[in-house]
Amino acid sequence: MSLVITDLHAQLEDGTEILKGVTLEIPAGEVHAIMGPNGSGKSTLSKVISGHEGYEVTAGSVTLDGEDILEMSIDERSRAGVFLAFQYPAEVPGVSNANFIRAALQARLPKGQELDAVAYYKSLYEKMDLLEMDRKFTARAVNEGFSGGEKKRNEILQMLMLEPKYCILDETDSGLDIDALKIVAKGVNAMRSTDRGMLLITHYQRLLDYIKPDVVHVMSAGRIVKTGGPELALELEEKGYDFLKELTVA
Amino acid sequence: MSATLEPTASILDLAPETAPDLPAWFAERQRAAWQRFLETPAPTRRDETWRFSNLKQLDFSSYLADVPVPEDTGSIIETSVGVESPAAKYIFVNETLIEIDSKLPENVICLPLAEALLLHPDLVEKTFMLQDTRLGSAKWAALHEARVSNGLFVHVPDGVEVEGTIEVFHWLAGDRAAIFPHTLIVTGAQSKVRVIDYFQSAESEQEGLCIAFNDLCAGPGSKLDYLAIQAFNEKTRVIQINETGVAKEASATGFILNTGAAWARNEAMSRLTGEGSRSDMLSVSVPAREQEFDQRTFQHHVSPGATSDLLYKNSLYDRARTIFSGLIFVDEGAHRTDAYQTCRNLFMSEDAEAHSMPGLEINADDVKCSHGSTSAQISEEEIFYLRARGIDPHRARQLIARGFSVEVIERLGDEKVEETVLRFLDDKFSRIAGGGA
Amino acid sequence: MSYDSSTTIDQETQTAIDIDRSKGDFKFPERHKYDAGRGLTERTVDYISDVKQDPEWVREFRQKALKVFLEKPMPTNWATKDLENIDFDNIRYYLSDGEKPKRSWDEVPEEVLKTFDRLGIPEQERAFLAGVEAQYDSEAAYSNMKEELTQQGVIFVNSTEGLKEYEEVFRPWFGKVIPTGDNKFSALNSAVFSGGSFIYIPKGVKLKQPLQAYFRINSESFGQFERTLIIADEGAEVMYMEGCTAPKFETSTLHSAVVELVALKGAKIQYVTVQNWSSNVYNLVTKRGLAMEDAEVRWIDCNIGSRLTMKYPGVIMKGERARGEVISIALANSGQHQDTGAKMIHAANHTTSNVVSKSISVGEGRSTYRGQVHIPKHLKGCKNNTECDALLINTKSRTDTYPAITVKGNQHATQHEASVSQVSEEMLFYMQQRGIDEGHAMSLAVNGFINDLVREFPMEYSVELKRLIDLEMEGSVG
Repeated sequence: MSLVITDLHAQLEDGTEILKGVTLEIPAGEVHAIMGPNGSGKSTLSKVISGHEGYEVTAGSVTLDGEDILEMSIDERSRAGVFLAFQYPAEVPGVSNANFIRAALQARLPKGQELDAVAYYKSLYEKMDLLEMDRKFTARAVNEGFSGGEKKRNEILQMLMLEPKYCILDETDSGLDIDALKIVAKGVNAMRSTDRGMLLITHYQRLLDYIKPDVVHVMSAGRIVKTGGPELALELEEKGYDFLKELTVA
Repeated sequence: MSATLEPTASILDLAPETAPDLPAWFAERQRAAWQRFLETPAPTRRDETWRFSNLKQLDFSSYLADVPVPEDTGSIIETSVGVESPAAKYIFVNETLIEIDSKLPENVICLPLAEALLLHPDLVEKTFMLQDTRLGSAKWAALHEARVSNGLFVHVPDGVEVEGTIEVFHWLAGDRAAIFPHTLIVTGAQSKVRVIDYFQSAESEQEGLCIAFNDLCAGPGSKLDYLAIQAFNEKTRVIQINETGVAKEASATGFILNTGAAWARNEAMSRLTGEGSRSDMLSVSVPAREQEFDQRTFQHHVSPGATSDLLYKNSLYDRARTIFSGLIFVDEGAHRTDAYQTCRNLFMSEDAEAHSMPGLEINADDVKCSHGSTSAQISEEEIFYLRARGIDPHRARQLIARGFSVEVIERLGDEKVEETVLRFLDDKFSRIAGGGA
Repeated sequence: MSYDSSTTIDQETQTAIDIDRSKGDFKFPERHKYDAGRGLTERTVDYISDVKQDPEWVREFRQKALKVFLEKPMPTNWATKDLENIDFDNIRYYLSDGEKPKRSWDEVPEEVLKTFDRLGIPEQERAFLAGVEAQYDSEAAYSNMKEELTQQGVIFVNSTEGLKEYEEVFRPWFGKVIPTGDNKFSALNSAVFSGGSFIYIPKGVKLKQPLQAYFRINSESFGQFERTLIIADEGAEVMYMEGCTAPKFETSTLHSAVVELVALKGAKIQYVTVQNWSSNVYNLVTKRGLAMEDAEVRWIDCNIGSRLTMKYPGVIMKGERARGEVISIALANSGQHQDTGAKMIHAANHTTSNVVSKSISVGEGRSTYRGQVHIPKHLKGCKNNTECDALLINTKSRTDTYPAITVKGNQHATQHEASVSQVSEEMLFYMQQRGIDEGHAMSLAVNGFINDLVREFPMEYSVELKRLIDLEMEGSVG
């Protein structure tokens, strides 16, 4: 059981290649981190896995527990178990958080089955308490007028509610103060389980102080250039991304 | 030439005669235009482009063709003052060139239209009045085309950047004189130019008519700035028609200041024909007493990925009346359009009247378009704030009204030019009853 | 695209939607005792007057109006050329079975009862309405109101009964808010009007539940011309709701109503419309309210159906501190043009008006906003706020905005804002990443766009509205 990315190449509409052969395996039960400088292709990787239409996959494969997901639409991939916590979550004016999450859960139910409203709210409030979110939040429009911290917490809330098999967190630590970071990490850690894989995309070591990864990958210029244990993140923090130059040369 | 004619014929009666030395195509265009003028019906109440307009202002039968230039033009030349040390300066009285001064590089063609027709007939033909006038004044554009005898032709070759400002002074002199000045500016790729037209009257009490037309063709990547400062006496009627075409990555700015005229109608049309093109349409009007300004604009997004931004501001004094009717028109397929349109009216009197008709017609779906229109007076809080700083209420009103217009003028982005515009603006404020602002 | 509604809609909802889609699209055979025939002449108008046994003043009113109608040109100098496709000679101007409206559903002819049953009217009446009038072609088939309201002096009858039985209340206001010559179609209505409601709410009476009218066209090539007059006396309050449907005929149908509202001192009238005519109905309606001192008139208007709707509800604020409001939602799909707007005429000091209009253009649909705000000389303290937002769903969708704001004098504040946007790719990607398919994501976004306005509709209507919009959005993606 794992999310397997093999020799993935992807380009923009104008033909600029961003991913130049990414190979990566995230087995269920493990937390992986991808680190790398800006523009290395980290965020693109998360979007390509999710099926963003702005990128064209030119080679390679992505399988989820053995099933090819590249042929699936965005929403099919989501229902198959891929969750992306966005770096910049979109605003959906006029649609309340409660309705939005309900619609996403309803979409996962078999035909003819209606979501149990009581159980839904019970579960929603439980998770909001964990993330220290005010109840009023359910009536607010999705991400509209949210602070950076509120948006990130909202992403984690949705992740908790949808219980995906594989979670990709794109720069979830950016824009968070230390208190907010701890709360978000608490939410993510609550999701860690033997049957769930996680991929943390981050620029800094900071997040990894609170969410301990099993494996750390370093990405540069559209490729994974180094893989190691948690100590690799510390090494990066210490030496800075300049030491990647040595790696790429090597 | 004109001095020898006895000016008795109405501009509406006598068919114009094209000077015999001008090219045949031009004579033919003038003849056809006269025919079109005669055949086009005058606007009526039912024409949307003349909604709220004062149609009585359109009776031009009393204006005369070929009113002679006064013998002494010394004071006119003396009072033709624009920006400090312009790049070139042209002074016309009743469409007759009386003064010329130019420091322009040789590769820039900048000539009186009558001369450009002789020296560069092909260049002129390629750009002269090619677009349909669609904002209501087709009949008057035809009259202009039939009667125009002079103006300015500017052609900036590819890659040439003209430093400074080209200035053109258009004077109306003599009773019931009519002029049809034309400004035609063509910029080549990656070139740059700025032209200012000044419209003024030689005497303060003589009636006059000006039907002006400017054709602006901004070539790829070029920057074309055009300003019209309309400061005629308050007995004059004005129709000023603008046609701007903006090519790929070019940027064109059109600015109009209205301080003069009894009645002025502005029709401004920007066509964005290339990806990445940009058009800024700006106007400041300060009508007072019985003055009426009637402004119609059209932002035509032909190409995808273009931007247009319009800001018109009116400060209305006494029994002044303004009409603003603007349309953002996005063609089918003109996606990624950014178009904005704002008209603001500041009421300085309880007898003033403003009509705003900001419109949108959108035929593409990936667009960002908005328009806004407001009417308000200076709030008591604003006055209070200034008074709390020790400024008397009269002066406080002056400062706020001036500041209201300055917001537009600052977008011109050139200190010397802004100073010149402000000079005309302040001159107007000083002539408003009770000092105005 | 591969949008499959079955993946996310359960069977029950699906069934509900399917019924809804065809809800108005059925008809029964015509059984008319009275038929004015095709075309419009003095004789047609006479026929209508004879059948309805009009008093002499109404006969005169109609004949004068006919002359005005024939003389007035089509407003095609500013409006769509599609108006020219109306064939006035082929329209039938009056059709009825000659029965008086019934006070009980049991007495209503079977097919008519079946019609309104299918549309859910008796059910709604029991659930939340204070009174109902149901019009079938030219005349009301059913009209009833709760007994207690009769005791309070509330009058709720059809216009024919109103002008005969309550002439002293009816006549002073009839044709005063909207004069015959206001426009070509108000003149047409004045010549051939039949049906519609006359409502009078006595001083101080505040209706807790709404009154409702339902307009049904059953016959082909028919013109429905109802006429409604609502008078709320001092301090009275009423909410009136109207709905409408027609089957889809081969030929086009004309609906041209005139609605006049009079809110006397301190009164409040709210007029709610959910317009869902079939897509070959020309819906050309004149609606205007008069608000006296401290009174309020609110138009809450939703246009989803029809081929062409031209409707610009207005408020004349004639008394100090009067308030006028138009809340408007329009949805234009392929083959439809929703040409709607608002007219706000300030005629007294310290009057305020508010216009909020949201339109959605889908497929090749076109929506247009036309607004007029008028603040004349020598008034003070008038305020207008206008917001119009348009949402474009597809590449060929179209929207236009043509407001006209006239302000005279310096003691007022007006503000107009309009914007045009589309559902962004990033928003759709975000929603789809959560597992919601494109069609539903689009529905959510569109419902979100109008959500704040939908709240202004009574609950029962807002649910219906959301469903109708989901339905329209279904085919929009791909």
